[in-house]
Amino acid sequence: MSAPMPRALEPIVLPDWLRAALSQPATARVAPSSRQAAALAQILNWGLPTARDEEWRWTNLRPIARLAAAEPQAKAPCSDLSVGIPDALVIRFVGGQLQALPQNLPAGLSLTPLSRAHDIDRAAAFAPSAQSRNDALLALNTACATEGVVLDIAANADIQAPVVLDWQDNNQHGNHSHTRLFIRMGAHSTATVLEATQAPENTPHWRNAVSVIEQGANSQLTHISLGLAGDQRLLTDRSFVQLGRDARYRSINIQLGGQLARREIDVNISESGAHCDLLGLMMPRGKQVMDTHTRITHGAPHTTSNEQYQIIADEAGRGIFKGRILVAEDAQKIEAYQNSRNLLLSNTAEIDTKPELEIYADDVKCSHGATIGRLDDEALYYLQSRGISRTNARKLLITGFAQEIIDALPYPELVAQMSAMMQTHMGDAP
Amino acid sequence: MSLLEIKNLHAKIGEKIILRGINLTVNAGEVHAIMGPNGSGKSTLCQVLGGRDGFEVTEGSVEFDGMNLLEMETEDRANAGLLLGFQHPVEIPGVKNIYLLKESLNAQRKARGLGELDTFAFMKQVRELVKSMQMDDAFLHRGVNAGFSGGEKKRNEILQMLLLQPKLALLDETDSGLDIDALKIVSEGINRLRGTDRGIVLVTHYQRLLSYVEPDFVHILYKGQIIKSGDKSLALQLEAEGYEDILKAAS
Repeated sequence: MSAPMPRALEPIVLPDWLRAALSQPATARVAPSSRQAAALAQILNWGLPTARDEEWRWTNLRPIARLAAAEPQAKAPCSDLSVGIPDALVIRFVGGQLQALPQNLPAGLSLTPLSRAHDIDRAAAFAPSAQSRNDALLALNTACATEGVVLDIAANADIQAPVVLDWQDNNQHGNHSHTRLFIRMGAHSTATVLEATQAPENTPHWRNAVSVIEQGANSQLTHISLGLAGDQRLLTDRSFVQLGRDARYRSINIQLGGQLARREIDVNISESGAHCDLLGLMMPRGKQVMDTHTRITHGAPHTTSNEQYQIIADEAGRGIFKGRILVAEDAQKIEAYQNSRNLLLSNTAEIDTKPELEIYADDVKCSHGATIGRLDDEALYYLQSRGISRTNARKLLITGFAQEIIDALPYPELVAQMSAMMQTHMGDAP
Repeated sequence: MSLLEIKNLHAKIGEKIILRGINLTVNAGEVHAIMGPNGSGKSTLCQVLGGRDGFEVTEGSVEFDGMNLLEMETEDRANAGLLLGFQHPVEIPGVKNIYLLKESLNAQRKARGLGELDTFAFMKQVRELVKSMQMDDAFLHRGVNAGFSGGEKKRNEILQMLLLQPKLALLDETDSGLDIDALKIVSEGINRLRGTDRGIVLVTHYQRLLSYVEPDFVHILYKGQIIKSGDKSLALQLEAEGYEDILKAAS
């Protein structure tokens, strides 16, 4: 058999519509001007990453370059996922543009459009800077972001109501958007942020998102990311999380829809006692590509992390998980666990999974495991021997596997909605 | 009409011939025990009757409740009323026991033209069964057999039988690996299944189970054939004399 064709090695030329957007006057953009200018120079110099760039070996960004320069079309918004979640505070973005912010916020929570945020907040929101072409989309976001939200949670505030970011990624305002989220959590505060991204069918739109999260001492954030409807929707989304002493960050990332979903989660655990949980479920089918790269840096002693990622790939779907864990030289007494479990349901589906552990300290408990398997024939036979049809037995096994992550979601209403959506997404394919 | 009628059944795995002409008739109301040394074909017989892939029937026929069993899919066999209790019940971590029970019962009801079951009545029935098998309610929300002890797995098999009420229960070494307490619980469960309209086939290596569940007939399987049949005294004779003497006498 011949070697597989290398993917997208040639440089990807920036499409005309993106060049046009980059040459627009900078007035409407929200990044501090010096950052904007530097980022603009970077993206013009780099172009989009290709398979030559280590962090993009498996994911081809050509679909972005091929995106047509769509005429803006008015679209009805998709259904609101927050229905049934008590007291949800919904922030809606349509085609990357902010709609009205919710009123009557609980004490300790403030929401500000990035375009009207204080200079200090804008500087913090754009703090991460691109180092190489691997980070080209971060530079692009910094150069192009026109809006976003600052979520400021005061010290000691316990915000029970979830803040829902309802990303309606339709092409009402063009074929691409760049959004930026900044979450600052004061010491001992608690909050839940739920991002749901969706678009109508046949609506090509690429959203290139960045979120920057700063957690103060002993604060606790649950950050949920749900990729829902939209067969032609493209999402690239990178989160930078900085954890203070004893802070806890919990990410639940579930991707069902979209043509492309690429998520990057960078967690910097730089003070002792801090912990992060990264949970993920990706279910690519059809020609969907779903990719998550996580990078956890244990920069202080007595810090812990726990990672569980699951991919279920069907038809010609492609799923990618790369999990990097870096333990710095002086970071002793670290516990870091990573588990990547994957189900391959068809001969044309593909799953790539790669743990990457870099450990410089010597007193560390670190473990990782990665498995890619098919549905267990023994288990199928056992279920059939109880009268369950082969089709339903397959469904039970796949559902059971997916449910391990879905059940980790807060709010029973949300678990029920996501379970139903997962069932629909799985469809009746034999 | 007999419930199960096996005639001259031959089967092989790959090129290895395992069953060499089995004849067995089970009528409603009867309990049969099939005993035999390791490698005699006991488990193969169970798997062929259960419809597992990988076995090839080369000769003979099996009629179950008037149907040609060998032409039926595994799930159709179960829904027609033939249930197989596994020697090694499979662990399925992601699927909760309660879902398995519900799906199986609904599949059976659907096959028999009945509507979906009433959740309240179902839960009540399941809880009673869980209690009768001396299991904890929490078990219902654990993965099927996931992390269960050997005894718990076998109790779970019997619990499923009691819920699904098969016409014929085929229990493959349900007694192996059980301590005496678990054996008693499992035996009581099997005895509750006994009835004039139901057949039970116990496939076992040991006589021990048969002290608790008294069979009407005992068959000795050896090298893929039933070489001797008798009443329960045959099992006792086997216990006293061992296989060798009986095999010698039979040959």
